Amino acid sequence: MFIKRFLIFFPAIVLLILLQSYFWVPNYENQAKGNPSRLTQYITASIGDASVLNPILNADSASSEICDKIFEGLIDRDEDLKLRGRLAKDWKIYEEVLFYFNDHPKWLKKGFTSPQTLKNFLEKFFNQSTSHQLGHIEQIAILPSYQEEKNVVEQLPAGQGGIKEEKHKITLQHPPRLKIILTEVDQDFFSKLEGLLGEGYFDQKRLKGSLIISDARFQEKEELYLKQYLPVTEHNPVIIFHLRQGVQFSDGHEFDAEDVRFTYEAIMNPENRSPRRPDFEPVKKIEILNKYKVKIIYKRLFQPALTAWGIGVLPEHLLNQEQLIREAQNKGLDVSKFGLRQSDFNKMRPVGTGPFIFAEWRSDQYIKLVRNESYWEGPPHYHEYIYRVIPDMLTQELEFYAGAVDHYGAMAHQVDRLKKETRFRNFSGLSYSYSYIGYNLRRELFQDKRVRKALGMAINIPQIIDYVLYGEGEATSGPFLKQTDYYNRGIKPLPYDPQQALELLRQAGWERNSDGLLQKDGKIFEFTLITNNGNPYREAILLIAQNAWKNLGIKVSADRVEWSVFLQKHVDVGNFDAVVLGWTMGIDPDLYQIWHSSQTGHFQLNFVNYQNPEADNLIVRIRQEYNEEKQIELCHQLHEIIFDDQPYTFLYVAKWTALLDKKIAILDKDDKGVPVIKKITPTKTGTYSFYFNKWIKFLTVPLYGPQLDTG
Amino acid sequence: MISFLGRNFVEKLITLFFISIISFSVVMLAPGDPSEIDPMNPKFTKEDIQRLREAFDLDKPLYMQYYLYYKKLFTNTLLSYKDNQPVLSKIYERFLNSLPLFIVGTFLTWCLAFPLGIHAALRRQSFFDRSTTFFSYFFISLPSFFLAYLSIIFMVKFFNVPVIGLATFGRESVGIWYMINDRIWHLVLPSMLGAFAGIAILSRYVRGQMLEVIEQDYIRTAKAKGLPDDQVYYKHALRNALLPFITMFGLVIPGLIGGSVIIESIFAWPGMGRLGYDAILARDYPVILSLNFVAACLVLLGTFVSDVFYMAADPRISIQDK
Repeated sequence: MFIKRFLIFFPAIVLLILLQSYFWVPNYENQAKGNPSRLTQYITASIGDASVLNPILNADSASSEICDKIFEGLIDRDEDLKLRGRLAKDWKIYEEVLFYFNDHPKWLKKGFTSPQTLKNFLEKFFNQSTSHQLGHIEQIAILPSYQEEKNVVEQLPAGQGGIKEEKHKITLQHPPRLKIILTEVDQDFFSKLEGLLGEGYFDQKRLKGSLIISDARFQEKEELYLKQYLPVTEHNPVIIFHLRQGVQFSDGHEFDAEDVRFTYEAIMNPENRSPRRPDFEPVKKIEILNKYKVKIIYKRLFQPALTAWGIGVLPEHLLNQEQLIREAQNKGLDVSKFGLRQSDFNKMRPVGTGPFIFAEWRSDQYIKLVRNESYWEGPPHYHEYIYRVIPDMLTQELEFYAGAVDHYGAMAHQVDRLKKETRFRNFSGLSYSYSYIGYNLRRELFQDKRVRKALGMAINIPQIIDYVLYGEGEATSGPFLKQTDYYNRGIKPLPYDPQQALELLRQAGWERNSDGLLQKDGKIFEFTLITNNGNPYREAILLIAQNAWKNLGIKVSADRVEWSVFLQKHVDVGNFDAVVLGWTMGIDPDLYQIWHSSQTGHFQLNFVNYQNPEADNLIVRIRQEYNEEKQIELCHQLHEIIFDDQPYTFLYVAKWTALLDKKIAILDKDDKGVPVIKKITPTKTGTYSFYFNKWIKFLTVPLYGPQLDTG
Repeated sequence: MISFLGRNFVEKLITLFFISIISFSVVMLAPGDPSEIDPMNPKFTKEDIQRLREAFDLDKPLYMQYYLYYKKLFTNTLLSYKDNQPVLSKIYERFLNSLPLFIVGTFLTWCLAFPLGIHAALRRQSFFDRSTTFFSYFFISLPSFFLAYLSIIFMVKFFNVPVIGLATFGRESVGIWYMINDRIWHLVLPSMLGAFAGIAILSRYVRGQMLEVIEQDYIRTAKAKGLPDDQVYYKHALRNALLPFITMFGLVIPGLIGGSVIIESIFAWPGMGRLGYDAILARDYPVILSLNFVAACLVLLGTFVSDVFYMAADPRISIQDK
């Protein structure tokens, strides 16, 4: 019977075809043995695929990891997290300060009758006196008065909660201005200068007559416009970058100042929707002084703006308007709708000056880079860098175990599992983040800082680190990154002391009632603690905190909410009692968005409503301070204030963990040119891949030290 | 007949229209924004967020968004939020990757389920019947990701061969024969794992259908006539038992998208299921909605195809034009 035979033999044949393929597949050992080039390949595994290989457009960690290999910025951070030059050889920072000449009779009487006399007075002062605090000046110039018309766009509420944009015209009558070039940035320059010229010289209101608002509806904006368009004093910090000469893009074209300007303009172009735009918003102007010299002028004092220049520099010659138009025409697309975002550059042919060159991208499979033989710092030892996409953590671990992957983002429990294997070495270091419990200070309940302190002291943080994080974390006491100098190491985290906590609560008026619950004025101490679901660490903390507080006699209900609901319905609108959350941060010590009292509105990040005028003042001074020592000093003060206020219970800084084959080591040369093999160790600040370009894999675990036999 | 097909087709179009409205509303009304719009990023100002919302049309009223979205979809100008690539070409690329997995998986399911089911039905209550019943329920109740992990660990530890991805990584330069077999090998585990549950379920159905049919009078008649057993079972009984499976076959097609999310993720297989999963995590609305639309089309296509097959296969079903 045909059908019967068919039903038996057909599946059998299909299975045979499938299974016979086993004999043609190499096992892992053969792959490496017959394949010496495997030693010069570095394969790393990632959960997600990259999306855009363009440093100014990408917003995900996978893309930026690849971009860091292909592109390079003007500066980056060295192993001690200090800034160092890359495409910029070095740089100089100074300041231009501007102020309007004051023609009030009071000052005219004092002898400052014209901008010229004021200038002469100041020049004389700076030349003769050396004991003053005003710093060194390079030059004083007078800018003549002029009139200017400006179109201003205002957003007006329209029907049904919408927003309507309205354009109107204002006229500005700029009085004559003095421009002083200082050799160093000094945020207190004007207050010192006012001491010299006389109290009240920098009077903003005096300029009212110089502003004409033609549209009566916007009259109320006068004060705002004055500050914005006719600021009586203005700080313009300036950076001059000296670019490295002779650096080439991987297509052979030389890198120069045009590329820097182009990158800046591409970021600021609203059509490109660059997520990096906010970093460059403080830039007022960029000027090319010569092929290797760029001058960047800022609108205001903002020290963290400097690090933004770590952004990868784009090749102007491949992405300028002309090239984009040509690309659009070749593809037969609408030229007016074709921009940097649409270009194949981001997907098929990114070109940068970095140590690796883009070779191939198979979507959701791998991205392959080859080394840049003409990299200005010498080519990396690895010939190929391969980024494999393996979405599952356990699969990654198996591939790593089998040797098909050199590196993966091993989680703490995975490191724990493979730690005992002699072939691997494991690392860990502090991440750029911290976890905390934030209290909504709008609530009556949390307004006493003794209460907040007591809540913090009730939680056993070392235990959380040991059991939830497998020991891979450190307690933290404040809002700065623990591995930076901004963190005040003199401040120790709150001790775990439930007895002391009860004592503090008693001082604040909370006494235990007959049910064992804390009570004050007839009300029991109860609130809700929430976090987003899907984060196992936060969910664990939620329960631990709930239990710890229950032991004090506090009634806490704990809840987990889906992330976007969590943000929209609770955090963004201040509708919560306490939250478990974390911040991931940059290295800069700028805390404005998270801690300044002006940022407490809906959809702003100071959602706990922390307000402390002293802290506000320090936060502003920190972001305006260009002298690092002074900045660190200010940060330490701020750290102390915030720690004292305990608006958050600072929990811990989690550590990143990593595993690496012991056969991978650093191959370097000593002063005499003798090759030296060094062990890979994390740098002081906690990155182990800092010397990645010098890494190489050996056939066996190497002996460290100088290598006599170089053959 | 033709008018039936025409009417059926129009009905399906109307259904598709309602599906598109519902799925659009569900996705858009869910709280949250695309991951490009990150309200927790300290560096984003309100204006930046507004600018992004405008670029994604999210500031417009919902019906305008609906109109713009489908207009872009049908003119193939719809771009993914994540990487600005045209959505349809992205889906097509992944479709080609998912296709072999789907074909082999479906093949295995249907090829193996029938012999197993028929055999179990013919030897009712035998050891074979009992053990297939046991294993069927075993595989139906076992989560596929668990089985996948077990089999990967087993393969890697005992056979020491790679099983992840479309092909062995880094072997681009080998001969064509090796390459083909390498790709087949990488199909084996994921497609088998995908097929296991299917085989378990389908073979139960086949067994039930066969049991029902062989109790029928005409089978007894055929046996009484003295026809050989094989002919009775495989010709007269099997044909009649097959009818319900035409409907089931039509419903297999949508499995191309939804059936493989977990398997594709574990095996690092760059297929459509993973595309959808990643898109959901990133709230990449264009990709989510397009995949949803494609899935809806596939379901409707499947039911359409099975309607047609059914008519062709069963003479008792006829369409009267009114």
